[in-house]
Amino acid sequence: MTEAEKLATLSQMSPTQTALVIGGGVSGMQASLDLADQGFNVVLVEKTPSIGGAMAMLDKTFPTLDCSACILTPKLSEVARHPNIELLTYSEVTGISGQAGNFKVKVLRKARKVLEDKCSGCGDCVEHCPIEIPNEFDQGLGFRRAVYVGFPQNTPLVYTIDDENCIKCEMCVKACEREAIDLAMKDEEVEIPVGAIVVATGFELFDVSKYPRLGYGEYKNVINALEYERLINAAGPTAGHLLRMSDGKIPKSIGFVQCVGARDVTNQVPYCARVCCMYGIKNAVMAKELQPDNVKNVTVYYADIRAYGKGFEEFYNMAQTRFGIEFIRGRVGEVAENPKTRNIEIRVENTETGEYLQHEHELVVLCPGILPPKELRVIASELGVDVDSDGYLFVEHPASNPVDTKVPGVFVCGCAEGPKDIPDSVAAGSAAAMRASITLAKGGEV
Amino acid sequence: MGSGESPKVGVFVCHCGHNIAGTVNVEHVAELASEFPNVELSTHFMFMCSDSGQALIREKIEELGLNRVVVASCSPRMHEPTFRKVVEEAGLNRYCFEQVNLREHVSWCHMKEPEAATQKARDLVRMSVARASLLEPLEVKTVSVEPHALVVGGGVSGLRAALDIGDRGFRATLVERTGNLGGNLAKLSTLYPNNEPAKDVVDRMSLAAEASENVTILLNSEVTNFDGHIGNFEVTVKNNVTEEESEMKVGTVIVATGFDPFEPIGYYGYGDSPDIITLSALEEMKRDGTVLRPSTAQPPKNVAFISCVGSREEGVKGHEHCSRYCCTAMAKVAAELREEADEVLMLYDDIRTFGKGHEDVHRRARQEHVIFSKYNKKKKPAVKINDSGIMLKWNDVLSGENCEFRPDMLVLANAMVPPEGADEVAKIFSLTRSADGFFNEEHIKLAPLTTHTAGIMIAGAAQSAKSATDSTTQASGAAAKAVSLIARGEVEIESTVASVIDELCSACHTCVTACPYGATSIEATKGVEVARVTEAKCHGCGTCAAGCPSGAIVMRHSTDDQISSMIAALLSSAFVHGGGEK
Amino acid sequence: MTTAAVELKDWEPVIVAFCCNWCSYAGADLAGTSRIQYPPNVRIIRVNCTGRVDPDFVLDALDQGADGVLVSGCHPGDCHYTSGNLKMRARWALLETAIEGAGISPDRVRLQWASASEGQRFADGVKELTEKVRKAGPFRRKWT
Repeated sequence: MTEAEKLATLSQMSPTQTALVIGGGVSGMQASLDLADQGFNVVLVEKTPSIGGAMAMLDKTFPTLDCSACILTPKLSEVARHPNIELLTYSEVTGISGQAGNFKVKVLRKARKVLEDKCSGCGDCVEHCPIEIPNEFDQGLGFRRAVYVGFPQNTPLVYTIDDENCIKCEMCVKACEREAIDLAMKDEEVEIPVGAIVVATGFELFDVSKYPRLGYGEYKNVINALEYERLINAAGPTAGHLLRMSDGKIPKSIGFVQCVGARDVTNQVPYCARVCCMYGIKNAVMAKELQPDNVKNVTVYYADIRAYGKGFEEFYNMAQTRFGIEFIRGRVGEVAENPKTRNIEIRVENTETGEYLQHEHELVVLCPGILPPKELRVIASELGVDVDSDGYLFVEHPASNPVDTKVPGVFVCGCAEGPKDIPDSVAAGSAAAMRASITLAKGGEV
Repeated sequence: MGSGESPKVGVFVCHCGHNIAGTVNVEHVAELASEFPNVELSTHFMFMCSDSGQALIREKIEELGLNRVVVASCSPRMHEPTFRKVVEEAGLNRYCFEQVNLREHVSWCHMKEPEAATQKARDLVRMSVARASLLEPLEVKTVSVEPHALVVGGGVSGLRAALDIGDRGFRATLVERTGNLGGNLAKLSTLYPNNEPAKDVVDRMSLAAEASENVTILLNSEVTNFDGHIGNFEVTVKNNVTEEESEMKVGTVIVATGFDPFEPIGYYGYGDSPDIITLSALEEMKRDGTVLRPSTAQPPKNVAFISCVGSREEGVKGHEHCSRYCCTAMAKVAAELREEADEVLMLYDDIRTFGKGHEDVHRRARQEHVIFSKYNKKKKPAVKINDSGIMLKWNDVLSGENCEFRPDMLVLANAMVPPEGADEVAKIFSLTRSADGFFNEEHIKLAPLTTHTAGIMIAGAAQSAKSATDSTTQASGAAAKAVSLIARGEVEIESTVASVIDELCSACHTCVTACPYGATSIEATKGVEVARVTEAKCHGCGTCAAGCPSGAIVMRHSTDDQISSMIAALLSSAFVHGGGEK
Repeated sequence: MTTAAVELKDWEPVIVAFCCNWCSYAGADLAGTSRIQYPPNVRIIRVNCTGRVDPDFVLDALDQGADGVLVSGCHPGDCHYTSGNLKMRARWALLETAIEGAGISPDRVRLQWASASEGQRFADGVKELTEKVRKAGPFRRKWT
């Protein structure tokens, strides 16, 4: 189908048979699949060039150390191939009107400059592009061209031209045998009728540079946890080699700092981000696992270890007993760099012993909390849905109706409702699909 | 592809990033495999399960006319369905696919022995190539789905699931063992984080369920017999009061059997003083009115709480897990008690107020001057009871000081444990249990609601300890899975059933006694007695085939020849210094 | 590699394992995901149920030169197919008699129960069997 045909089809959807899912992370993907499997049409809108969300960036998952890509990739294919799912990546919801059973949703199709129906994902264009810029998917640690896919499993496997950095040299246009590149492509808007809406906009990572005392941005060997995930990932910028940024050496000693941008009233993040303890422990374990002979010391500095989920406490115990990870209870006061070695000294009070510690690590990983994404407020106000004091979508009856917003026909799942780990996001995705399917089956009647 | 065609095997070895290739020399394995019998192509790729990996398989099937495919990657328990779909898309029968587990069974468990791991990988691929050469295409069958769901358990999870299925327009039968709906939630006072009375939640849901024309509620009832397959299960439900049994057909099942509050006998003087109670008991008191000290029926003035009672006990089977609800529940009720009590003390290990609004609950308790003290996990608080009451002694980790407190009431935050009868439920629905005793999901990350038994879902505390919100979320999610099955109306089932070669059968009845499902019988065909398999009843365990003394039973997709070929492929050539050939 | 002495020095036990899909194969998966390390001598054949394991498979494997055989399935009472593992247990008694009758050390075979949540137990079972087989030495190869 050409783009024009696709837009024409979308504007003619039957609202009683169609749901909109906003956000293509793991929660939105699950919501889409569970609606589509019931026979409903789903329009899945994702703002980046690929579905997969944050999970696609992760290396391993807790508490089983399963590799994230291995378990996610088949889901990506399943969504992309489902006959009832219309995937709109590189697109944004710009306006919503109407009510349950009959919403009108405005979606902006940002100009990808590559025709989705023609691009085969071969990548022949890439080597001809003269522009190199930091790859957002790799947290800026690796590079991409102006014509790019963020990661090899980009779904759909269609390249995107980043207009901001493209110099219109047209080298890629000449290189593409399928004539899939159209540099004149313009943004387009389409209005889609849908009967129910699932909000699955995910989260944003807390910007750890808001704590100047923790040295991020100032010292090269202080990185954040998502950068660490990309560093240890085989498909990442270092091909999975754990090294530090200042000199490329394998760090012999690593410190993980928990609760950076979580449980902190003064930084407007009073809530617990729910995932950092476990991803911190997982990343600590991975350091030992990847470099058992080189990494001698791994220390986690924490406030409380919140290993609450299935198999979490057991994993926490294993990290201590089998992998010898050290846990020190204390919120890190500040860090300093040794200018000679570029090592990082952590200054912290061990609150269990009362000791003031100065621990030197060759690499320090800050484990950031998570925030509601900026666009959530805009979408919420378009929908007329309330936002709670932390900035996430408000649910009136969490015990009985945990995914229902106050607006009939509008449901929420994943981190749009509050921080969640993967299985809780997946379960919520299924739940939102269930509730949305009831709205559709009843034709919007409440 | 006909079964007579000679096998052309394609071998695809996956790097899985570093996961396999970091230990196993995958290039070498792929190279060796190209020399194995019947192998037409052997290659390797970064991620076989990615779109491009899948495309590679399809492309090679079409290009080279491959009729058997071996993918050497991760556990088939995860990705067999994925790859079966891939070969089907390229026109092959799904049963002509074979997967080798190089990740969970090789690279991840032999990380320090790359050479031995590579040898093992080579052997496993050789074995699977041999088996693949003997694989037969089987007919893919679909069955209709009975448009009716069974929900087991009438707590909030079961109620939510039944309501959703009913609201969606399908029939649900809710079976509850006790005489009431609402389960453990009905025993609580108010719920965190929004202080909603538990009674309101239970009433709202149970009234809706009772009013729904699609939902049938069977109280005082239990499932006593369960048989059949996804789409068509036969269920017997017994009413424990009337002793009456009823039978029904359902297409799918949601198991929402919840938890039991742990009875902490032997912990912190529980049972030795009426004033030492569980958090569950305190909640019931609050629900019924005011909290009174059991021994005096007066409001307590000094209350102490102890966390993790029966939870987070490393090395204690069934009690290693965190119970997930208690920290927040404890902080909430502690703050509330401060309205009356002079001092409220909370002894904890870690404060796990992780969920939405939980930190607010935690902060409020601090604002109300609830005293928080972190105890020493290695040297837990000691409780002494004498004539003057309860004496609590512990070491406060943060100050290092040894402390004492005389509570007139001591509340133990008791664990959530699998409910009584979980063993029977597991047996009835063929569910497996995780180390904490709760039921296993199909996959801990991406399939938390389905189980390894097709058509059977789990939700709520049946899967692991959790709060009401997390339970009802799972319940709606599980309902979505059930509704998908019913809405589609039909479902594919496995063709891996047993069949009989009449000529070899001696009608000895061994298979009849072996079959756990009564799927085999002896019947006279053309005057000769032979064994028969009722395919609809056969679950594919193969016990009959293993028992048959005449080799007359063919267990499809797991034939004697297929299994023996793997043994032979390993032992005939795996050892360069091996025995018989010298 | 022509002399017996060199062979014995380089000899590594080869063990064939039959694991049921629902418990022990999953348990072995869990051992892997938990990164529990165990000897690389075992080669697993996946069967639906231990009830599928014909004693002939075990004898065949030994006959063809396996140094040991492991059969692993769900705990009694936990069988995915209700009772297939009990059938295997009944057969096992006969199998052990046959093995002893043939003058084969009972240390070379092992029937073990390991559930899907018992990765450590599975790994321990493999370890123990491998050690016993290593002690017993190469099977059928020393006199060939």
